[in-house]
Amino acid sequence: MKILFYPRLALSGIQKNRQLYLPYFLTCSGMVMMFYLLCFLSYSKGVSGMALSAFIASILRLGSIVIAVFSCAFLFYTNAFLLRRRKKEFGLYSILGMNRRNLGRILFWESAFLSLSSLAAGLLGGIAFSKLAELGLLNILKGEIDYTLRISPQSVLLTLKVFGVIFLLIFFNALRQLWFSSAIALFSSEQAGEKPPKANWALGLLGVAILGCGYYIAIAYGDNAITAIEIFFTAVLLVMAGTWLTMIFGSVLLCRLLQKNRAYYYRPAHFVSVASMAWRMKRNGAGLASICILSTMVLVMISSTACLYFGTEDALQERYPGEINLEVHLNEDATADLLSNSNTAAFLQKVRSLADDMGTEPKNLFLCREVSMAGTLTDGHIAADLPRYRELLDSSLTLLSFIPLSDYNALTGSSETLKEDEILLGAKRMDYQGDTLSFFDRTTCRIKRRIDDFYSSRERSMSILPGMTIVVPDIAPLLQNYGSLAEFTGNRAVSLQWTCHFDTDLDANGQASLSTKLLDAFLSSPSRERFGIDSVLCETRIQNRNDFFTMHGGLFYLGIMLSLVFLTAAVLMIYYKQICEGYEDSGRFAIMQKVGMTRREIKRSVNSQLLTVFFLPLAFSALHLCFSFPIINTMLHVFNLSNTALLGRITAVCFALFALFYLLIYRITSNTYYRIVSGLQET
Amino acid sequence: MHILEVNGLKKTYAPRFGGHSVEALKNVNFSVDRGEYVAIMGESGSGKTTLLNILAALDKPTAGRVTLDGMDLSRVGESAAAAFRRDNLGFVFQEFNLLDTFTIEDNILLPLVLSNRRTAEMQSRLDPIAARLGLSDLLKKYPYEVSGGQKQRAAVARAMITDPKLILADEPTGALDSRSTGELLRLFAEVNGLGQTILMVTHSIRAASTAKRVLFIKDGEVFHQIYRGDDTDERLYQKISDTLTLLMLTAGGEKR
Repeated sequence: MKILFYPRLALSGIQKNRQLYLPYFLTCSGMVMMFYLLCFLSYSKGVSGMALSAFIASILRLGSIVIAVFSCAFLFYTNAFLLRRRKKEFGLYSILGMNRRNLGRILFWESAFLSLSSLAAGLLGGIAFSKLAELGLLNILKGEIDYTLRISPQSVLLTLKVFGVIFLLIFFNALRQLWFSSAIALFSSEQAGEKPPKANWALGLLGVAILGCGYYIAIAYGDNAITAIEIFFTAVLLVMAGTWLTMIFGSVLLCRLLQKNRAYYYRPAHFVSVASMAWRMKRNGAGLASICILSTMVLVMISSTACLYFGTEDALQERYPGEINLEVHLNEDATADLLSNSNTAAFLQKVRSLADDMGTEPKNLFLCREVSMAGTLTDGHIAADLPRYRELLDSSLTLLSFIPLSDYNALTGSSETLKEDEILLGAKRMDYQGDTLSFFDRTTCRIKRRIDDFYSSRERSMSILPGMTIVVPDIAPLLQNYGSLAEFTGNRAVSLQWTCHFDTDLDANGQASLSTKLLDAFLSSPSRERFGIDSVLCETRIQNRNDFFTMHGGLFYLGIMLSLVFLTAAVLMIYYKQICEGYEDSGRFAIMQKVGMTRREIKRSVNSQLLTVFFLPLAFSALHLCFSFPIINTMLHVFNLSNTALLGRITAVCFALFALFYLLIYRITSNTYYRIVSGLQET
Repeated sequence: MHILEVNGLKKTYAPRFGGHSVEALKNVNFSVDRGEYVAIMGESGSGKTTLLNILAALDKPTAGRVTLDGMDLSRVGESAAAAFRRDNLGFVFQEFNLLDTFTIEDNILLPLVLSNRRTAEMQSRLDPIAARLGLSDLLKKYPYEVSGGQKQRAAVARAMITDPKLILADEPTGALDSRSTGELLRLFAEVNGLGQTILMVTHSIRAASTAKRVLFIKDGEVFHQIYRGDDTDERLYQKISDTLTLLMLTAGGEKR
């Protein structure tokens, strides 16, 4: 009996505080489950049999690390909240004669029960859902599916270790808090007179300034794909700090300013709301900022990875315009006559005959000649004196691709004509508005039309730098004019290439063997000499398709899993916030009624406050999302995805779904709130 | 001239899960004249709080009538009752019931704001009351920064700011120390001297002995009343004390 005393006390404590502990337990289990699932998947047989399996395993492992770190921080936060609510009870025990050692024992048993049960529930849930998660992953990755349920002992062990340590740390932290507070402090901790929120001008304005700074950076420097990731993280840090400061200090500042305006403040509609908002924001600012940041994380993650996944086919088409794609680089001393029509016709004839050997006829066979080089663009003038390697990342570096008009017309099926000094200009990842363009040799050309939607082959493979595709009447003169230019490495600055792509009616194996044949044929000495070939690259779309889906699908899956974790955390925070406010408001509710407010008036006022406080994070995350849109769009270029419309649509859909979910959470948690408020009122 | 009339007031609480219903008030009859200062005494459980809640239109009687200045309180609806409370009644509670989110000033002004008065009028009403209650220097402070006695004075100021027909005080000295109690009771007497009608529910003899009339409630009925007449506070204190002893003796006698 005496041995069981503490466990019993602990159990009854948990039971009596169901309202607080059940969500905590569910969250712990959820985190454990997610961690196990990601571990399990990274060792999964289904995954290891796939192309790029190492990549998938590594991003899954990365995900599990993120979950572990996040769980640690988040569970610490929630546990501190729980402990604050329980302090009064512990204070009572201690007044009744328990010493710290006794309290520690209760705390120990409580932690033990909670940790063990949530580990057990989480692992069971993880094992139960592991097959489903695996099927989901394989479905997204378009891998092969089998239906046997496996348990991964190493994942179970790892989960036990990681969360064992987390729970232990949380227990010690709770113990530390209990140890250093006296019985009376514990007993009256809940009613401790709280200082009124002070308007802090410096911090409030600083918050808004930092937020604005983050936004500015994201917008102003967000169009350079090379530096985008770096800029993105800087902006994220600034926006996070800005959100915190603005929510905590900025909102109190606003309330205080409103209170200064007597004509506004002393009105029935504003009086109670404004005064209690200031308090609410002081207590909840940090929580709200966290909810906002979590929501934004979820939205950014899910919309960008979803866009990546659903845009895979687009990216694939963009990267590989034909089923089979040949990229022929001509050697250094290639002369203009290698670019002649008769030469390319001979090349195409060779391709046709090789395809014929395989019993197929190339369809949509196109060849495009391209002279490419790099230059720097300033005020409509392109200079060829390239910067040194160090400054190569300078954003004025522009890739130039010159394409003859005849090839452009053939590729696009158009019948454009150009005069001697006219060009068509397509600009990517850059903003050029001029009507003319002048070149190294001081020739100036008029831009007849913009063809920003056209992708040259150079564009497709090197899609992160600013690029210009320039359609000229003829490329032979270019070679004469620029052929002698050299890069700082000493190599010729101008490079010549042909790209050739076509479709077949062969299956994947047929396409693979045809591409081997093509490589063999064009890399043989006679062909090399005949066409002046330096190197040949031959890729089939179908081979790369799997890689694309694996990579994008893997990221999408990770996006979904992490979003679920962050979403759970956000929901729990919202729930606890509502409980907290419920307890606080119930007393005020009663007073206001006695002083002469009708129930309707009180409810309306409280409701409007709740709504404001509740939807503030959502509104803020919508704002964050808007400002992050351009830079996310730029980052997706790295993945060959430049479909702004798709990203826009997906982001909008994600936000709509998220808002709907948020609304649902509001309905559920506000019910808890009203139960607390009205329940306490009766007693 | 009666300002408050209570006739045949009855309140029965039906328990939620069957069982015997509880009769908090059986049959209460009394009236209060304009400018009177009445204390209602009784032990806990005698129905004092129920009576006060009904007088404040926070609760409805099972039977009987409450008429305040000619208006039948049992007939008004919830929102009308709230407006009625705001305009005609002032409250002083044992636990002060100040909102911790407001400064002392805003707490006092709350009823005026709720009845949508002009800001200028608020100021002109606030200043003299704050000065009389010694709150002028505390207006910008928050409840947590001031003492219990000061909080209670702020609550009195809040009750008085609408110029109510009747101030209802529920154990106003219950949470105060001896010195603050003395101050508050002097304040009540002084305010009453200016013509303010006060109805105070208390079980403190000291508090009741400052009133002009003391009603005793027992088992849901008005059992006895004492008029001050020309008595001093000390003399009245003695009379109340004697009455309570008698009350206890009869209660003991009944039990036996």
